[in-house]
Amino acid sequence: MSAIVEIRPYVEAFKAQPHAAEPGWLKQRRESAMQCFAELGFPTRKQEAWRFTDLQPLQRAPFPPASGMSKVAAADIAPWLYADAAHRIVLVDGIFAPELSAVGKLPEGVWLASTTQTLRARPDLMNAALRETDAVGAQPFVALNAALFADGFVLALEADAMLDRAIEVIHLGRAAGRSAQLRNLILLGAGSRATVIETFAGKGGYWTNAVDVIAVGAGATLRHVKLQDEGAAAVHIGHNRIELGRDARYENFTLSLGSKLARTDVQLKFDGEGAACGLFGATLLRGEQEGTIATVVDHAAPRCITREYYKSVAADRAHGVFLGTIGVRPHAQKTDANQLSKNLLLGARAAIDTKPELEILADDVKCSHGATVGDLDETALFYLESRGIPAAEARRMLVEAFAAEVIERIEDDTALRAHLGRHVTRWLAGGIA
Amino acid sequence: MLEIKNLHARISEGREILKGVDLVVKAGEVHAIMGPNGSGKSTLAGVLSGKPGYDVTDGQVLFLGRDLLAMAADERAREGVFLAFQYPVEIPGVNNMYFLRAALNAGRKQRGESEMDAGQFLKAVRAKLKLLEIGEDLLQRGVNVGFSGGEKKRNEIFQMAMLEPKLAILDETDSGLDIDALQMVSRGINALRGPERAIVMITHYQRLLNYVVPDRVHVLSGGRIVKSGGKELALELEQTGYGAFGDAA
Repeated sequence: MSAIVEIRPYVEAFKAQPHAAEPGWLKQRRESAMQCFAELGFPTRKQEAWRFTDLQPLQRAPFPPASGMSKVAAADIAPWLYADAAHRIVLVDGIFAPELSAVGKLPEGVWLASTTQTLRARPDLMNAALRETDAVGAQPFVALNAALFADGFVLALEADAMLDRAIEVIHLGRAAGRSAQLRNLILLGAGSRATVIETFAGKGGYWTNAVDVIAVGAGATLRHVKLQDEGAAAVHIGHNRIELGRDARYENFTLSLGSKLARTDVQLKFDGEGAACGLFGATLLRGEQEGTIATVVDHAAPRCITREYYKSVAADRAHGVFLGTIGVRPHAQKTDANQLSKNLLLGARAAIDTKPELEILADDVKCSHGATVGDLDETALFYLESRGIPAAEARRMLVEAFAAEVIERIEDDTALRAHLGRHVTRWLAGGIA
Repeated sequence: MLEIKNLHARISEGREILKGVDLVVKAGEVHAIMGPNGSGKSTLAGVLSGKPGYDVTDGQVLFLGRDLLAMAADERAREGVFLAFQYPVEIPGVNNMYFLRAALNAGRKQRGESEMDAGQFLKAVRAKLKLLEIGEDLLQRGVNVGFSGGEKKRNEIFQMAMLEPKLAILDETDSGLDIDALQMVSRGINALRGPERAIVMITHYQRLLNYVVPDRVHVLSGGRIVKSGGKELALELEQTGYGAFGDAA
């Protein structure tokens, strides 16, 4: 299949979109982004960053953007609701659904709204979300998203604004053969603090292409959780672009359970000294699921800390990929970074590719990385079985424990850990061969 | 209860360890199997409990008249066979209480009994914990995680007390215990003695047998039971050592 054939439906969809009412600068950005996508085409396995990812489910047929919103009842989002959230935004097929959302009363200095609402009321904020960063790393899907996005959510905190309870965002996909092009933005002013829980769920053969642009200001703290639980026939591509200011704190936890093809990219840049990030996650795969986590951390400032820990489980014929790069620029002295990828292979036909990588150009740094791929611990299995626990249940318990160990890295939030744990348990109830 | 006939077993693809073990244990009896290092004691415990890594090459084991070796490890346990491990396994992330309740309910299900609810379970747990002087906080941890050597062994006996097996096989439960822990563990074992239950204690030393007095003592050497007798045999071994049986202790 040639690149032209693949991208034409998207170019046509772009031409057909009614962008006339949008401001000139935005129309221009969309134009250039579309051009960028047309030049890049779909990623191929010849590119290192996409070497292990089989994009076929995305290339067999085009996924033009959803034209309207599927009808969804409150009960349809119930399985994913986070009880401890204080404010909720729900998007269906990539479009804000006010009747399902509960934004509520926001504290002073906090902006939370849909992307289209924000474009109308606060275009200054959106400008930041659509800067020229889209070409970084030649990510065609980010460019496509910039051209086609219809909606998303925007959370912006002014300096020193505090959100004590979580913001919940639920992205629900329902439109078969269509894509939800979501452009989300999280901006934290200096000294502010927030927790955002993003859930991707749905039913049917749709494509979610989400881009989160995140800027955490000086001394600000963001905890960002992503639960990827898309429908079994869906494709999920999610990019997180993060910039951290001086002494900022950012934590990203990705629990990836659903979809037939899922990829989460985390691209983080340290822009100021003394900042820290924690990138964690668990990916559970079975059947013929494909799941990739790809992280790129750019230590562009001295004295920053990276803690990275990802786990994956592949059963049946599933395929998991971890790509992790930590780069340390020449002047980024006193960088303290470590990265660990631990993987469980639960079947002779399952596969895991893991590729941790360090590129260190400074001389006074502390960096380490590691990767393991293994089977379940035989002695632990026998111990459980020797107490009468059936073999399948014993395996399930050990896989649950494997995932729980990384969920435990989320500090000081029992409710959040329990929420994620319940989704792991539910996934495991579906069986692992 | 347990009938072992001419049992031969080897480590998978390795050398033969058991070379014709014969043993009969009746309900209500406590047997001690003693022997030097390398005599096959742990292999016997492993083969009886269904531990992977052994091939049975000849012989038969009957448990309550049924072919024990044809059952999977978990099935043996649900039918009432319990192995107290020489080296209990640490399982981070699997909560002790959760694990124990799953094990208990698996057995109850097998016997057609209803599952124990959280209240009944906790009540049963507390009574047995007291017997073995195990702190309730230990049960909130991962299985055996952060337990001292003695705590691990006490946890084995605690699990045995909770699961109430028909046949308990204790593999070197006394090793590594100080005198206080040994007494506690012994109390736990003695509390489980009863006319419907059989206990097989595998041990290198006579020490445990001062507290849990066996009905029969066997000497395992070179993969066979070379001598059997009453409790006085253990004392005799303490005097003479295993040298007389062809293996260096």
